[in-house]
Formats: sequence, C-alpha cells, structure tokens
Amino acid sequence: MAEGGIWRLALPLAVAQMLFFAAPLLLLAATSVATDENLRDWSLRAWRDTLGDGFHIESVLNTLRLGALTVLATALLAVPLALVHLVAGPALRRVILIAAVLPLLTSVVVRTFAWIVILGREGVINATLIGMGVVTAPVPLLQTEHGLIIALTQIEMPLMLLPLLAALARIDPALLDASASLGGSLARTLWKVVLPMALPGLIAGATLVFASASTAFISQGVIGGGRLNYLPALVWQNAMVVFDWPLAAAMAITLMGSVLMVAGALSLLGQRASHA
Amino acid sequence: MHRFTGADRALALLILALAGVGFLILVGPVVVVLVTSFTSSRALQFPPPGFTLQWYRDLFDAERSAQIHVAAGNSLLVAVLTAVVATSLSTAAALAIARSRATWSKVAEGAFMAPLVLPGIAFGLAALMFFSWLRQPPSLALLVAGHAMIAAPFALRTVGASAAGLDPALLESSAALGAGPWRTFRRVTLPLIMPGVAAGAFLAFVSSLDNVPVSLFLSSAQTDMLPIRLWGMMETALDVRVAAASGVLVALAFVLLLAMDRAVGLARRMSG
Amino acid sequence: MTALSRRHLLGAAMAGAALPWNAAQAQAAMTAAVYPGGWDEALRAVLAPRLREAHNINVAFEPLFAVDQIAKARAARGNPPFDVFVLDPGPRVSGIDLGLFEAFDPTKLSNRAQLPNGYSDAHGAAVAAQVVGIAYNPTKVAKPKGWADLFKPEYASKLGLTGFQTTFGTISLIEMAEVFGGSETNVEPLFAELRKIKDQVAAVAAPAAMPGLFQQGQIDLMYTNTYTVTLLRSRGVNIDFAVPETGAAAFVTTMHIAKGSRNLDSAYKYIDTMISQPVQTTLAAEPFFFVPVNTGVTPGADVPMRSISEITNFVSHDWTKINPLRAQWIARFNREMAR
Repeated sequence: MAEGGIWRLALPLAVAQMLFFAAPLLLLAATSVATDENLRDWSLRAWRDTLGDGFHIESVLNTLRLGALTVLATALLAVPLALVHLVAGPALRRVILIAAVLPLLTSVVVRTFAWIVILGREGVINATLIGMGVVTAPVPLLQTEHGLIIALTQIEMPLMLLPLLAALARIDPALLDASASLGGSLARTLWKVVLPMALPGLIAGATLVFASASTAFISQGVIGGGRLNYLPALVWQNAMVVFDWPLAAAMAITLMGSVLMVAGALSLLGQRASHA
Repeated sequence: MHRFTGADRALALLILALAGVGFLILVGPVVVVLVTSFTSSRALQFPPPGFTLQWYRDLFDAERSAQIHVAAGNSLLVAVLTAVVATSLSTAAALAIARSRATWSKVAEGAFMAPLVLPGIAFGLAALMFFSWLRQPPSLALLVAGHAMIAAPFALRTVGASAAGLDPALLESSAALGAGPWRTFRRVTLPLIMPGVAAGAFLAFVSSLDNVPVSLFLSSAQTDMLPIRLWGMMETALDVRVAAASGVLVALAFVLLLAMDRAVGLARRMSG
Repeated sequence: MTALSRRHLLGAAMAGAALPWNAAQAQAAMTAAVYPGGWDEALRAVLAPRLREAHNINVAFEPLFAVDQIAKARAARGNPPFDVFVLDPGPRVSGIDLGLFEAFDPTKLSNRAQLPNGYSDAHGAAVAAQVVGIAYNPTKVAKPKGWADLFKPEYASKLGLTGFQTTFGTISLIEMAEVFGGSETNVEPLFAELRKIKDQVAAVAAPAAMPGLFQQGQIDLMYTNTYTVTLLRSRGVNIDFAVPETGAAAFVTTMHIAKGSRNLDSAYKYIDTMISQPVQTTLAAEPFFFVPVNTGVTPGADVPMRSISEITNFVSHDWTKINPLRAQWIARFNREMAR
C-alpha cells in the first residue's frame, strides 16, 4: 500500500473509538460544565472546585508522582530481566516468560490480599526482617507510598516487560557475539547495540505502566490506604457516594489530561528514537 | 560474551541481582496466593495452618459454585471477544502509525491511548449514560465494545513497539515481487510483528478478564461477571475459593503457554 | 446475547431441568439487584426457589453494592436495569431524593403485619436489620468498653478506620462524635480526636479491605455489623462483637421498586416473600446469619436482642439530616487523614 493510503488502516479503530469512547467522553465533558447530569444548566463550579483547590491539585501531583516512580521501579527491574532473557537458554527463557505474565493471572481482588500478607505488620517481609535481627519492631510498609510502589511494581511489571521482550526479540544474538568479539565491553554492547533496539519497547512499557499505575484505583485504595490521596479514589467517591457527577467528570478529565500529556511526551520520544 | 573484564563482571552481577529481585517481586505474591488456595482454614489465611484440596473441589462443584461457573463463562467469552476485536483493530492502526511519517500519526497515537488513562469508573458511567441516551440497554455487544476500548491501547502499544523496527525496504521488495498487500501482510509483516501481536492479544484478554469498573456499569443480570462475583466473596467472607480461582487461572495459563510453545516450535521445525 | 442465552439453556438442560420451554412460558420473570457476596448467595439459595414455588416467578439477580445500584439506575434514566433495589439508609435517601423509586403500596404485602411498625412505607419495606458496634480480636486485645476506648493509644495503634462512604461507617463515626460531645449533625469533635491518632492508627482503608487486614493481624479492631462478625467467626477468624456502652446502633436494609419497572406485580411478591417467616427463619440461621425483621423470627446469638421488636431500644439516626451533610464530611475526612 502506498504511503498516501496507509491511514486507511487506522480507520476502523478510529471509528470504533469515536462511537464507543469519544462520544461518552464528550457527554462526560458536557456533564463537567453542567449543574447536574441532566445538563439543564451550565456552570463552571466543578472546574473551580477541581483546579482551584490546593488539596485536589496536590492529589493530581501525588497521582502523577506515583505513576512516574512506578515506571522507574518497573524499568529498573524489567530491563535486567529482559537482558537475562535475551542471553538465557530455552528453559530459563520459558521460566522468565511465565513469571512475566503471572501477575496478570491473579485477580486484582485476591492480589490485594497477597500484598496484605507480604507487607503487613505481621507480614512476610517484617517477619523476615525481625527474624534476621535487622529490626526489632515492624517497619510500616502497608499504607505507605513506598509499600504501594512495591506492590504496583509487581502488578504493572508485565506491562513493561512484555513490550520489552517483544522489542528485544528482534535482536540477533550473533550481533551480541560480534560486538563482544570485536572487543566491545559489556557496557558498550548494551549501550550501542541493545539499548537502541530496546528503546521502543521501553517507551511503550513506560506509557502503559504510567497510565495503568496512576489509575490503579483498587490497589491505591487497599494498599496505599486512606492517608494517601490519589485522584481515582476522589473520582469514585464523587461519582458513586456523593453523586456529584459534574465534579467527578471534571476530576476524571483532569486526570486523563495530565496523564495523557506525560504519555504524549513519552510517545514523541519513542517516535524520535525509532526514526533516529 | 567471552573475555569478561572486571568491570564487565561487576555489571553482569548487578544485572543478575536486579533480575533476581524482579523475579522475586513478580512471583512472590502469586506464590502467596497459590499457597493460600490450599489452606485448611475456612477463610483466607497465610501462612495456612494445614493443607487441603477442598477449595478446588468446592470451586468445581457444579451446584455450590454454579453461579461462579456462569460468571466465569461470561467473563471468558467477553475476554476472548475483546481480545479479538481490540487486537485486530489495533494491529491495523499500529501498522498505519508505524509506517507513516506524517504528523497525524503522532496525534492519532496519543488519541488512541486516551481510553487507558480515563479512570474506569468515569468511563463506565459515561458509557452507560450515553448508551441509555441512545436507548440501548446493557448487552453483551456493548460490554465487549466497552472492554475493547480499554484493551485496544495495550495492543496498539505492543504491536507498535514491534512494528517500529519493520524495515520498509522488506515490504517494498515483497510488493515489487508482485505480492498483494494482504499476502505481504500475512507472509512478511505478520511473522515479524507476531511477538507484539501475541503480547497485545494477551494483555487485552487479561485486562478484560480482570476488569471491574466497566463491567460494573455495562453488565446486566444476564452477564454476571467473574471479578465482581469474586470481589463480593472476598469482601464479606474471605472466601478461599477466590484464591483457588486464581490457582486455576495460573494452571490454565501454564498449559496454554506450553501448548503455544509446542505449536511455535513445531511451526519452526516445519518451516525450517 | 444469543450466545449467552443459548448457553444458559444448554446449562439448564444439562442440569436436568425438565421441559424448559413449557415452564418458561407460564413463568413471570423479574430482575433484582442484590449485594455481592453473602447476600447474593443467600437470596439465590433461599429466596429464589421459594419465589418460584409459591408464585412461579423466576428472578434473575444482578450483584451490585448499594451505591452502584443508585449510580447505575440514575445513569440509565428511566430504563431501570433491575426491578428491585436493596439499600441501606444512606443510599435509600439518595434514591428517594433522585426519584428512582415507584410509589410503594405496603397493603400489597400479605406479610406486612409481621413487620414492626414503620418498617414499610410509601417508598419500600425493610427486609433485614443491621446492628453496628465494635469488632475486636479477643486473642490480641481486651474487649473495648465503648467508642472512646478506640482513641486510647493501646487500641488506636491496632484500629482500622473507614470513612463516611458507607452507612455503617457513617453511623459509627457519628456515634464517636457524640461520645466526644458532637451530634448527628456535628462531627467536628470527632475530627479533633481523629487528628490526634491518625498517625498511630494501623490502617485507614476501604471497607472492602477490612476483613483481610483483620485476618492477617494488621488491625485488631474495627467497626462493623454483627452480620460480618458472625460470618467471619463461622469461618474461623478470631473475632468478637462488643456492644459499646452507649449502645449498639441499628438500622434496616430496605427494598424498593425501581421507577419504570415493568414487573410491578412480581416485584411486590418478591419483597413479600423476602419478609415471610419461612424465608426470614432460614436467612437468620447458619450459614447466612441475617438479622431478621419478621417479628416471628428469633435473631441469632450474636445479635444483642431477642426479637426485632427490641430494635426501638437501639440507637437510630435520621438520614434525611445526615445525607445532605455527608458530601462535606467525606471531603473533610480525606483532608484530615492526608499525611
């Protein structure tokens, strides 16, 4: 197909998104500037409450920071795993692949229980630390930001690891051997050969992890708890308990806008990297 | 990778250590869930006081878990349909984006990611408001459409990552050799982007299977969904069958991966 | 849709349900919302067969929490996705304010005389009671005497807090506010006390997380209803119910018919069967542990009353006053608890 006609391939998805996503979103946007969900009258009250309130702005920033830290943590662990996968034999490759998809197979419902078991005051980590004599009293992990990031790292890691493995699958192992036999150090091989190939996957993963972690409402609520404030919980409260749909709509759009800006920046980076 | 220098060895060790931590983090919670699913206690408890297969028997009991089976059937059906719809739409779109250098493709890519970042609750609510306005009652088709919207960005991103490295010259030479676009896609493009397509389909499938917020609004009494059912069982009674359900899913995935491995291995041998 | 109904039919045929075609024609059908979990299991096991036997009505259940029912019905604008709601007082008042219910005619309930006075009205009928107090782990902490105890250091560090988003949470927090000099419409004294303990408390979490946190020892105290306590103890969790010295608070769960329902007659029979003595008796016993509203049924051992008629001695609250204030309390709780 000629370059000129290629856009037609994007048409089916575009039409589907118009119908099933953009149209409801438009209704949501209209609701956010209305007095109620029947759209009887217009008002900017919901937007003033969302953007003019320090607490809400702080929640937006908390949410974005959570997404960013989760991206860093997943990348820090997923890249080494992907590298080991790259040079491993078939058996180890299979083990890594299975480990990579495992978190997706335990329902979010029971996963929250697993994290209570691991991070809790009488949990696995604290029992180990106390048993080894590292600490004498339990370290608070559950209901803290770092505990939440640890949990999100597991939950979101497949979203980083799978695109990364897909991208690295295109590397010819012979290329690595060639680089090494030409006297390239390991660091140089990684930097010059592997990283450029991994970059599209890394950026795809970062986008997915960022978006998913910043909207992970159930994990944020159960593992992070009520003392940490993130936007998704506020959207839920206003939509489902308070029934202030204009406010819920304004907050949802704020969250979407701010996360999209970051995702858009990452995507631009990705395009530059892949065309470089 | 021979001729390791000291610095190389240190770096390799660091990579191994981080990979080890990553592996532990990935697997640890799943091991906790699996171990818990065999507990002899009557509520979720870790460490278990003893072990039994009772919860798996209960989960498969046609009478006691009848409603769970119905919900599991619904959820699997919706997840399969979602994966098919989302992956085919996204693969086409990802190829278009990867092969176009025009500005529109960057804008389109950003727009296509939007469903992923709108909180599910808000999307579910808005979708139900919109469909009610169109006088469309919740149905299986609408439920799949809603799930597919959330799942499409996963497939778009993973396929996009695979397609970014496609060599245009390869496709051009295929076309020059007289292959039509569909033949070129099947014989040249698809095999090259297959890891991305498979990863995307898998992510779409599991994102649908575990979706709570969209199902909450778009499902009906006829389309009882598994995650919502599990949520209720967990919240009120710490029902161990919730852990057993995850055990079944993990076992299924193992079988599926092994089967895929066989199939791919077989295909490679046949083509080679 | 066709795939699903075909599978349902197949399932029914395989289960040996005879002659689905003839039976289906004579049967009336309706849809009822039900709380996911225990309620869902109980109503499918007890109420549905009874309804089929007595009135030849087939009920389909849609598992939804109270707030989800309201949101869903409201978003559907006059096309109710189900015929009957089941709600706690907070969402009930919201539903009335939003005009989501059909006018209710209690005289259509044949079992109305077995309900305490005022348990059926122009909006709906009560179908179960809830008694709210303190749940504690008897192997870890001494039995607390009342709400004020929760704020002492030895208890606060083991306490799990939930906010105003649920009915039982709101009621418990109001009770605490009253102990510290507040009232149903003034929870300011509570926030002053919460501020002092917020860094010590073991967890501030969604109600859904509480049983898991309790079982794994992260928290040893929480506020909840007798239903949850009995259910968890029956599954081997170390948990007991303490009636606060100011009294346990009680409220009722009610059923309502959705505005625009096309199965009015079946909906009334559904609610009527729900409050009937045989159904309430079965629901009050193991493994369901409901608190019955039928005066002819004796509540279970954990419920601190011998008959539902004693419920008038319990602390009760006026939700028409509470509901308008709840939005600001919820927002306030978020801010007060923020680190």
